[in-house]
Amino acid sequence: MSRRRQLLAYLASRLLLLPVMLWLIASLVFLLLRVAPGDPIDALLGTRAPEAARAALRHQLGLDQSLASQYGHYLWDLLHGQLGTSLTNQESVLSVIGRSLPASLELGVLALVIAAVLGLAVGFSGIARPEGRLDLAGRLYGIGTYALPPFWAAMVVQLVFAVWLGWLPVGGRFPPTLVPPSGTGFYLLDSLRAGSWSQFAASLRHLVLPAATLGVLLSGIFDNALRLNLRRALRSDYVEAARSRGLSETRVVLRHALPNALLPVLTITGITVASLIGGALLIEVTFSWPGIAFRLQEAIGQRDYPVVQGIVVVVAALVVAVSVVVDLLVALLDPRINF
Amino acid sequence: MLGLTWLPVLAWLPLLAGCQAPHPAGELVVASRSSLESVDPVDVTTFAGTQLLSALGDPLYGSDAAGRIQPRLASALPRFSRGGLVARIPLRQDVRFQDGSRFDAAAMVFSLKRFLALAKVSYLLDGRVAAVAASGPFELELRLKRPCASLAAVLSSINLTPVSPRAYRAHARRSLRDRFIGTGPYRLAAFTPQQQRLLPFPGYWGPPPANRGLSLVTLSNSTALFGALLSGEVDVLLSSGLDSDQQRDLHRRAGRGALVEGLGPAVEIGYLTLRSDQPPLANPDLRLALAYGLDRRLISERVSYGMRDPLRNLVPGPLPGSQPPSWPAYDPARARALFRRAGYCQVRGPGQGRRLSLPLSFRSNVPADRLFALTWQAQLQRDLGDCISLEISGIESTTAYRQLGAGAFPLILLDWSGDYPDANAYLQPLLGCRRALGNRCLAGDSAASGSFWTAPGLAAQLAGLESERGQARQQLVSRIQARVAAASPYLPVWRVPPRAWAQPWLAPPQFDGSGRLVLQALHGRSQAGAAMAVRAMAVRAKAVQAGAVAAGGTSGPSVTVPSARGSLAPAPADQLKVPDRPGGTP
Repeated sequence: MSRRRQLLAYLASRLLLLPVMLWLIASLVFLLLRVAPGDPIDALLGTRAPEAARAALRHQLGLDQSLASQYGHYLWDLLHGQLGTSLTNQESVLSVIGRSLPASLELGVLALVIAAVLGLAVGFSGIARPEGRLDLAGRLYGIGTYALPPFWAAMVVQLVFAVWLGWLPVGGRFPPTLVPPSGTGFYLLDSLRAGSWSQFAASLRHLVLPAATLGVLLSGIFDNALRLNLRRALRSDYVEAARSRGLSETRVVLRHALPNALLPVLTITGITVASLIGGALLIEVTFSWPGIAFRLQEAIGQRDYPVVQGIVVVVAALVVAVSVVVDLLVALLDPRINF
Repeated sequence: MLGLTWLPVLAWLPLLAGCQAPHPAGELVVASRSSLESVDPVDVTTFAGTQLLSALGDPLYGSDAAGRIQPRLASALPRFSRGGLVARIPLRQDVRFQDGSRFDAAAMVFSLKRFLALAKVSYLLDGRVAAVAASGPFELELRLKRPCASLAAVLSSINLTPVSPRAYRAHARRSLRDRFIGTGPYRLAAFTPQQQRLLPFPGYWGPPPANRGLSLVTLSNSTALFGALLSGEVDVLLSSGLDSDQQRDLHRRAGRGALVEGLGPAVEIGYLTLRSDQPPLANPDLRLALAYGLDRRLISERVSYGMRDPLRNLVPGPLPGSQPPSWPAYDPARARALFRRAGYCQVRGPGQGRRLSLPLSFRSNVPADRLFALTWQAQLQRDLGDCISLEISGIESTTAYRQLGAGAFPLILLDWSGDYPDANAYLQPLLGCRRALGNRCLAGDSAASGSFWTAPGLAAQLAGLESERGQARQQLVSRIQARVAAASPYLPVWRVPPRAWAQPWLAPPQFDGSGRLVLQALHGRSQAGAAMAVRAMAVRAKAVQAGAVAAGGTSGPSVTVPSARGSLAPAPADQLKVPDRPGGTP
């Protein structure tokens, strides 16, 4: 079978598996939520309200139906692209996701750029003299950023840059006294489209701290991945062959070792992107960033079944899609890969 | 190398800082912890929601800081028919909704019917009101299912604020999440769950707001809230959801004049529920022994640096019936005697007495609850260690609420805020019982609350709260509480007065009788006034340091000074040790 056909077959099998995976995930989330003690009424009203009123509200929200009936309705709606409405405010779950997913993606993309630039720069920096000071510092940086607890790092950054220095806001996504840009939900993009420099600057001010914190914390992964793979590549036969042909060390590194070392980094980037789609919970909570992980956490606390189910299913679908794209990309770039 | 890597990033930050969005002149930013999913009164169940609604709408009645009910959209208190089953409420005639339409009895009927049909807290009216009608253009008629002396207090719930029938025509049977058209001093200019912008409503019937608008913002953790106030990013900060350590720090800063502080009347109480129909706490002696063994003052100081007031009634002040205290004061000697009478406490000699091992549950997601459990455990170990030991365990709050009615907890710490400012809002939900067997409640509020306790004639006394008025009602409240205290199926622990801190150039924040910040009263003060206030606070703080203890008021607006109690050093939660036995605090 030709390589192109192999690729198409692989793509088809992944796409065919997608509905099965989503059904499994949706069913698992549905069951786990119902197994957890307490329901939305307990979360909403706490110890308030007489039992009769609680029963009436359960009936109003359809929570008194049998599990099978609730599951049937849920799957039927899912098949028709309906994710239901929030139990706390009757807002459509799609709208909840449409509002919070762009926030997470905006944060995630900037954090990823920072992580990649910083991580690759640090990872590459020690390559001239392995085991030298620069290399050692880079390794420490990689381990240190990877090991830092995100909430702690976020609070320290918040304290220094927002409270002590007062340079940047403590949290939130946009100044409360300004009207946020409308459109796609990506504030940087929307403000640029609207040609509003003040909105762009305001959005960026709120984005910088969470994105930089997340980016620095993630950069260690890129640093370590590049360092290890580059070192391995530099010891490989094809690099030795290139050196023996009399090529300069710069050319050997940039033309021969680096492209090969970057292939695993691409896979890591895919995994990181997939995890960022689901939001960076601790960063979002610490910086009051109204992203999808933050919303999911709130919905779990409120036992808002439709919102939790909807977010999990949509995020799962996106993660699968991203992993397929990354697999294809790696396959296109690396002819050694077979399916 | 690392420093060099950071340089480009750091170089950008001050540049961005220069782009800080200025506050529009006269507009204030008020921060709290809870986000808000809907602004519709039928959806609102949280404190943050009622706080916002209180600025956008008006209830028929309101309560002042002293707990007195005052007409708001009503022009007088309800007039009851002879049997007390029909209430007529005259309405103000000078009120307009924010869409320009007129507020009248028909609008009120529309709003109440919508509330009854849709509201998550419809039980507020459901159990009391049989029918709602307009008996005149500006007169509302409520047909009641039973006499309801607390009707005016019930109608002071902000969830019952009227909405414009014109604006809500399409939403008569469903909620309207992100818009609100009511009669309040502000109109909602923008809404997201994390931010709401309010601008003064020029057609407001009452005094106009003292500021030019507000932005209410949500920050999701205590540190961010604390930092936002200190950095000047927000102007006013509400205490709900703020950690005790940070509240104490803000309180001290207010004492030094770096901030101003407002204190409201407490509507939230913390209490212990004792499962009284199962051993070991089916024994009233043991319940009373626990009541005597609870050192509220010490616990309040350790958990909240004295910012939660020790409470010995279920009804918190300043509501009528909150005095005199009904539950016994801390008395370890009495507690020991009661434990001994029940066959506990190890005395010298073999086979003499046992040690009661009692599970104490607390909500693991409420930091103060965990500190309470640890502190009380240590205090009992110190004072009555040979009689009782507490085995503490945390449980997530929603799970706890679910399992309360199943009788899962012999002893658990919970909190309660009355839905409206009246003694009945604290007594009925804990003591009501539909079906009983002796002192055991089989079905009803008491069973759902986890105590399963009732007493013969108690239901009649509770019903009397809805027919008695004035002094007689107040005495009845006291009698009921004394009766409950004697059996102690619940132990009140503390009341939590709401606080707010503001930048020093603002006047001290004020609260209404429902413990909500009066947003329209937030305003700056003149420079001279601010300087005088700062000087006065500095002088008072110095006096306190010199030993003259000054205490802040417990209701209404106040500028507080540091309390001598605040000097207690905080103990890490895992190393809580209680000081040596005191002489017995009251």
